[in-house]
Amino acid sequence: MLGMADGWTSLVWILNVAAMILCVVYGAIHWNKGGDGW
Amino acid sequence: MNIPLLAIILVIYIGVLTYLSYIGYRQTKSAEDYMVAGRQMPGWIMALAYASTFISTSAIIGFGGAAGVFGFTLMWLSFLNMFLGILIAFIFLGDPIRRMSNNLKTNTLASLLGERYQSKFITWFIGLMIFLLMPAYTGVVLIGGARFVQESLKMDFNMALLALAVIIALYVGWGGLKGIMYADAFMCGTMILGMAILLITTYSVVGGVTDGHKALTGMAKLVPESLVKGGHMGWTAMPKLGSPIWWTVISTIVMGVGIGVLAQPQLILRFLTVPSKQALNRAVLIGGICIFLFTGTAFMVGPLTNVFFYETTGKISIAVAKGNVDMIIPSYINAVMPPAYIYLFMVTLLSAAITTINGLIHVQSAAFSRDLMATWNVKTNPLLLARIGVAIGTIGAVILAYILPISVIARATAFWFGICAAGILPALLGAIFWKGVTKQGAVWSVALGYGVSIFGFIFLHAAEAVPFGICKAIFGKPTLLPFPWTHVDPLFYSIVISSAALVIISLLTKPLPRDHVEKCFRGIGRQSRPPSGEQVVT
Repeated sequence: MLGMADGWTSLVWILNVAAMILCVVYGAIHWNKGGDGW
Repeated sequence: MNIPLLAIILVIYIGVLTYLSYIGYRQTKSAEDYMVAGRQMPGWIMALAYASTFISTSAIIGFGGAAGVFGFTLMWLSFLNMFLGILIAFIFLGDPIRRMSNNLKTNTLASLLGERYQSKFITWFIGLMIFLLMPAYTGVVLIGGARFVQESLKMDFNMALLALAVIIALYVGWGGLKGIMYADAFMCGTMILGMAILLITTYSVVGGVTDGHKALTGMAKLVPESLVKGGHMGWTAMPKLGSPIWWTVISTIVMGVGIGVLAQPQLILRFLTVPSKQALNRAVLIGGICIFLFTGTAFMVGPLTNVFFYETTGKISIAVAKGNVDMIIPSYINAVMPPAYIYLFMVTLLSAAITTINGLIHVQSAAFSRDLMATWNVKTNPLLLARIGVAIGTIGAVILAYILPISVIARATAFWFGICAAGILPALLGAIFWKGVTKQGAVWSVALGYGVSIFGFIFLHAAEAVPFGICKAIFGKPTLLPFPWTHVDPLFYSIVISSAALVIISLLTKPLPRDHVEKCFRGIGRQSRPPSGEQVVT
């Protein structure tokens, strides 16, 4: 997959993109949550 | 070289940095401002400063070059950087750390743990470890920046090193953490631009994502014989399980740095600067994008440089770089990018170097002034002590940068991250998640974590034990144990021992006073504000 020689390397390439998307989605959903002070 | 264009870029760049540092200087009225930016920094600035401090020339030049040798396997590290370094760190660690720090009126990681466990030993011992060992990491980040300046400006390496060090020492000593974070946020913007262009250009040069990877897969037969014998299976495949290269890449580079990020004093300090959980939530979005663009790009571009160099010169990257891993990325950028972009990348890499070294030297100065001098009751102006710490930290880093050998960046970074993980991480996680940790449990965990790590580097792990030569001098052989212990990173066993010590000794010894523990955990684990009348310590 993705031109890689083994599945582990394809998987880690996909995981990198997925982790970035997860950060974006989490940050967007929680943008106004968590309170704005101590 | 287009001198007028370069001069204009550098004047604007240094002008903006100077202005931002000046703002930080104007706003620095107290030691609290100098140490933790007054605890009122917006989340987006914290995220940009965190990401740019996290990712240095070590990641881009050192680890990017290592990816050029070992291949896409290093992307496990960029995945851990995002998953642990951003998601887990910001969502689960950031808020309890900043609240506990405020509850205990502390402004460094060492003093936070020392106060949490009521142990002066923990404060000065961690401070001492930071002060003595961190220059190894600061030194290689300096090397990374200087290598690129050397390659792109054809400047003498030693001159480039000295110029970088002087600029950085002035910024840190002048503006304190506020000035550093404002400047970091600006420099992070230049890094985002530079790395995004590098990623897009590289995939475009090699024919796209799948075609570029396929071309690299087809080059597996070009892997040097020495690497094949070590377990290298090609740049788009994992190394052979259990081989020397597998142990080096997975245990040292991926796990050492990937786990170690959770215990980096200069990064944890960033959590103390924000005023709310909301700021941390917002930082996840910005931090995730930044880390993907910084480390993800470096680890994708590194292996693909082989495709570019093979098509243009008939050689693989390490041959073009004349065997110096740290020269692969500078050589590639200078070969593939048009001259105008090279200047932009120079600013990108200067930013990567300066932001990280700023953070490191600031932490070293805090370790000197707060963790060591204050704990040892040296009475003098704290800001003066902090600035003396800046001077000592900078000089130490420059000396090491001159001494350290070539191809050292990734290895020295992994050393620093690994030793922090073993020495600090169990005590830090225990501090914020387990009320039952005792003083004795924490003390033994920290001491064993650092002690076993240092023992491993001197007597077992060949990459350090052989050049150190101490084991050979005492026992007559380069390492005490045979393979695989010569290639297993000391983090693997030292973190197990320090974690076990924390748990077992805590279960066997007297707990800390209940009211002290309640004070530490006040406001942690719930969303509400502290009881009325309590104010944030500023």
